[in-house]
Amino acid sequence: MTIIQNISDTLSGKIVKPSESLVHKTTHLMQDGMKARAFGEYEKPKALGDARWTDELILSTWYMAETGEVPDNLNFKTGKSDGGFDRLDFQFLPESDWLEHSEAIDTKLPLNRRGDKKNKIEIDIPWYGGGMSYGSVSVNVMMSRAKNAKQWNSFMSTGEGGYPPELYEVKENVITQVATGYFGVEEETIQAAPIIEFKYAQGAKPGLGGHLLAAKAGEEVAKLRGSVPFVSLFSPFPFHSTYSVEDHSKHLDWIETVNPKAILSVKVSTPHDVDMVAVGSYYAGAHIIHLDGGYGGTGAAPEIAKKNIAMPIELAIPKVHKFLQKEGVRDKVTIIASGGVRTADDIAKAIALGADGCVLGTTDLVGMGCTRCSNCEGGPSGRGCPWGLTTTDIELQEWVQQDWGAKRLDNLYTAMQWRLRDILRKLGLSNVRELRGRTDLLRYIGKEADE
Amino acid sequence: MLESSTHVGLQDTNGPLSIDRFGAESARIGREIADGYHRYHIETEEVDDADPLPHRFLVKVGKVGLAKLIAKEMVTYFPQFDVILSRPCTYGVFSGPVGGFSPRPKLCVGCLRCEVQHPDFVKVLPNPDLLALGDSYTTHGHIAAIDEEAKKGIVPVRGQGYRGRFGGPGFDGMLTDMSEIVRPSRDGIHGRELIGTAVDIGSKPMHLSFDSNGKLSGSTPEMFTIQVPFIFDLPPGDLGSPQLVKVVDSTSSRIDTLACLDAHTVARLGLDAPNVVPVLDNTEASRASEFPNARLIELRSSPGRSWGWDAAGFEIANAVTDAMIGIRIHFEEGWQNRLTQAVESGVKVIHLLADLHGCGSDGTFVTELFKEAHMLLIEQGRRDTVTLFGGGGIVGADHVPKAIISGLDAVALDLPVLFALQGRSNGSLRHRENVSGTLPVQLDRDWAEQRLTNLCGSWRDQLLEILGAMGIREVRRLRGEFGRSMVVKHLEDEAFEGIAGYVGGDC
Repeated sequence: MTIIQNISDTLSGKIVKPSESLVHKTTHLMQDGMKARAFGEYEKPKALGDARWTDELILSTWYMAETGEVPDNLNFKTGKSDGGFDRLDFQFLPESDWLEHSEAIDTKLPLNRRGDKKNKIEIDIPWYGGGMSYGSVSVNVMMSRAKNAKQWNSFMSTGEGGYPPELYEVKENVITQVATGYFGVEEETIQAAPIIEFKYAQGAKPGLGGHLLAAKAGEEVAKLRGSVPFVSLFSPFPFHSTYSVEDHSKHLDWIETVNPKAILSVKVSTPHDVDMVAVGSYYAGAHIIHLDGGYGGTGAAPEIAKKNIAMPIELAIPKVHKFLQKEGVRDKVTIIASGGVRTADDIAKAIALGADGCVLGTTDLVGMGCTRCSNCEGGPSGRGCPWGLTTTDIELQEWVQQDWGAKRLDNLYTAMQWRLRDILRKLGLSNVRELRGRTDLLRYIGKEADE
Repeated sequence: MLESSTHVGLQDTNGPLSIDRFGAESARIGREIADGYHRYHIETEEVDDADPLPHRFLVKVGKVGLAKLIAKEMVTYFPQFDVILSRPCTYGVFSGPVGGFSPRPKLCVGCLRCEVQHPDFVKVLPNPDLLALGDSYTTHGHIAAIDEEAKKGIVPVRGQGYRGRFGGPGFDGMLTDMSEIVRPSRDGIHGRELIGTAVDIGSKPMHLSFDSNGKLSGSTPEMFTIQVPFIFDLPPGDLGSPQLVKVVDSTSSRIDTLACLDAHTVARLGLDAPNVVPVLDNTEASRASEFPNARLIELRSSPGRSWGWDAAGFEIANAVTDAMIGIRIHFEEGWQNRLTQAVESGVKVIHLLADLHGCGSDGTFVTELFKEAHMLLIEQGRRDTVTLFGGGGIVGADHVPKAIISGLDAVALDLPVLFALQGRSNGSLRHRENVSGTLPVQLDRDWAEQRLTNLCGSWRDQLLEILGAMGIREVRRLRGEFGRSMVVKHLEDEAFEGIAGYVGGDC
């Protein structure tokens, strides 16, 4: 490239794949900046954070992703949303009764409890990565998450955007999602996955279907989704082939035919009758019931839906847990909770409320630099995330390199597992599975404590 | 809305009806019906700002620090100008003629990449001028949302999840339900598949009566239809300038809804029309005859009198006009009795009013008050004989379906009009009589009408999102459907019962 061409392209704003030097400069500036902020070398950015993800929660996540340890001087446990997880705490035992902090505290979670002939899957930590589609995020971000999932003997879901070929390298740790638009769903991608996830609904936009705006549905994204480039993709809602639990059962039968060993997850949001939905899903054959609460993350959703439709996950978990207990099937199905689960403390609280484990989405992104500016859908530039996370822009996606992203997440998960074990030992539990449904180990912090 | 003014029927009546002729005639009739069909839709169009809100962020760049960075990068990366000239902003904040030396904060979206990358000399700060807008109820967030909706006329869509508090007071304490299966598809709700937002104004008999000959003998419906479940309320405080009134009038006509306007202003500006609801003091009830085009006239309590029910005023107005007479009732002590008396006297439209924070005089929030009014009429066996409007505290798109779930037929909009037109409040945002505001100096009427139309289009489309998620195909069926809502407090009671320290109602 000539110097004149170089200057001309730069000044014209033409978007090109960045040179190695530019990638080197930009990633170093970003990574050094995140590190400096996380280590408290500068004051907290005044415009950072919100009620759910406070500045301290974001910076502590960066710290954990940087070091693999929990910070001493930042609140890494709760936000300031004034309810739900943020008003729950644990009733720890007296210090003299705490267990030793050791790896013997078991954090493993079995996902198939039906006792059938399908995959017997057990993950090392009681959480895995939620669906983020190719298109909503880049291949680099997907691979960062998938490589980390492999490292942790856990999983990451494809979301509804197809199965980029790179993922086959780590297919044993990738969940194929089948959602209402069937984007990128192929026989090969179903056969590749140990777990198939049916997405009926998403917490951030319950009842509305997926949403990828035209600016982000570029050539490569469209190719994988089998769609027309630069056309907004609104996944229909619901599955047009599902009008009853029996129809849902047929869906699961279809997957069983294509991949007899795969275990089946059913992702639903949290309406008033979420308990009935859960039990219906179980009887239809689901191994995992994945509840996605109303405050969940998204690449793009109507603002009105995020806050107002369906209930927060903290309120849905006990409802489903108790109902499945009454039905006598609680021990035959795994309940996974997501939608506003941010920290190891949130995970432990969700389990104490009745879930078996959790799914993380936003936490992974924050670990890789997300500041929650809410421009994932494209933003005014139409290019997506300036941090290179929720974008497939040929320049911006280069800001997240796969090995760097995987290492950040590995560190983050290390710190989170440490904290989870810390909670368990202070509760006198040697096994995370013993925490399930133990609301007696929780306490609610009322408003009077604020004063 | 299905509208067909075209007469359809067999035109070729000569000779016996053959299969071929039947087919051709059927096709022709089908075409005529299709041609006569008009699907209700609010046409929106993005418009420029007249008096934009303060930017969300302030961007401060230390010029010395920036100069040092450029010098350093010139040395380090020369001649790689793509590297030297690269900027940490994809939104153009530093892309002006002199780059970061004169940043353009209006383009900043708060991603903070610049501040994280260059902590020594870049700061992004929330703009205190924006934060200062509004009050504790109508927040700067509401005002900014209305401003965006009125500018673009679209459903605001953004990435990331919800950023606010868990539940909360007022409307925030109510969630709407959704159905996992069976609904209009989302790709259809804004186009192909019909979700009706029309509401009937007036009275329907609770049942039909027939005489011995099988003919209707009892009362029949007396009503008309508007296309959206929201109307424009009497502009509060000093907002009712002729400029604003004309905009509200023309917008209400354009989108087929109603505008409650001061009767004197209506008369003075010659605005008497079917879309206008002149509002008269009870003592002036006889002047109802001066508005022959009105379909609905509202009576309000005279200044200085209690917020009472004035049977005499209603009778006088009823005697001099064919228009329906509605009564405005404030949520003051004894409102339940006044509501009952009014309905017993044959009032067909009740317009309930809370303060602009959505509270009655005893502090009860409108969701409870609307529900009480709705249930009172149900218990009396009269709900369908009367239309309930309600206003006060409606400042967000989500408030419309929540108010309807609470029991209203249609919602009255007050303050959103001011903010849609980029007006600024300089008085109370709680007490109607003390509201004061200014509109942009150069208020172009077309611009203003489009802004207000955009707001209505956006709110209607967001209502469709909520209805679509529930699987409800028309907003009339949402009225009083408490089961389609969830109250955070109740959900917490169910979820957290038995957890140490939890006492119900602490939300």
